[in-house]
Amino acid sequence: MLRDDTNKYLPLTESTYYIMLTLVEPLHGYAVMKKIEEISKGTVKVGPGTLYGAFTLLEKEELIVKVNEEDRRKSYVLTPKGKKVLMKQIKRLEIMTQKGLSVIDVL
Amino acid sequence: MVENTIRKIKWFWVWQDEQEEAWLRSMSQKGWHLSSVGLPCIYRFRAGEPRDYVYRLDYQTFPKKDKQEYQQLFRDAGWEYIGEMSAWQYFRKEVKEEEPLEIFTDVESKIAKYKRILTFLWLFWIILIVVIPVRGISFDNPYPWWGVIQATQVFTLLIWLFFTYAVIRLMLRIRQLRRL
Repeated sequence: MLRDDTNKYLPLTESTYYIMLTLVEPLHGYAVMKKIEEISKGTVKVGPGTLYGAFTLLEKEELIVKVNEEDRRKSYVLTPKGKKVLMKQIKRLEIMTQKGLSVIDVL
Repeated sequence: MVENTIRKIKWFWVWQDEQEEAWLRSMSQKGWHLSSVGLPCIYRFRAGEPRDYVYRLDYQTFPKKDKQEYQQLFRDAGWEYIGEMSAWQYFRKEVKEEEPLEIFTDVESKIAKYKRILTFLWLFWIILIVVIPVRGISFDNPYPWWGVIQATQVFTLLIWLFFTYAVIRLMLRIRQLRRL
């Protein structure tokens, strides 16, 4: 059995986290950028340089995979390995926010 | 040559990309818009109405097919592709309210860009360090070409120093970004 080496990707940067979050369904680059702006309620904007770099890296690490290409636009989606990494990141964030919300009243 | 274009040759070090971007913007504000770039350090500008364009530089090498996808992504995000000089990719966008003016939106991806350049510089640095001592052996057995060999040797050494300086400055730039 292969060793679970997904921990080395954690924690994801905020941009990478949102990029992976949008790729639960196949999307091309520009759609990813728009979607991130929407789901982050405008708190995160990902520029094309950052996005291209992330796509290259995530594809190389087999966390995402190209599924389609039309009009020079490639669509990507999470691989099972990518889903696993994203799941772990979500758990980490959950612990962080739970603790944060528990002290919010005394701030 | 058409009279409403000018050509400029200007040197920027690899860690001075932001200065280069600022210079290109100031040229556009004066009505000189970058139309193409080429080696060595050649910038061509076309005359037009002064406009506030921001210029952004990326550093990427890739096969032709990937390049089209790359350019399409930037176009979709409102960036106009101008050209490339070695592996530097030149983009611009007109300044408007509500328009994002950065192609890199976090520190990590800015650092990743400088690291791509660093890989390239290291490669040359290592090649040069191998070449210098190999040629240095000829020092002990002088022959008619000895003078020429020595001259190229000195020249190679200078280039090596140049690369060393570039590597150090780039590493300092990365460290500066990490502190942010």
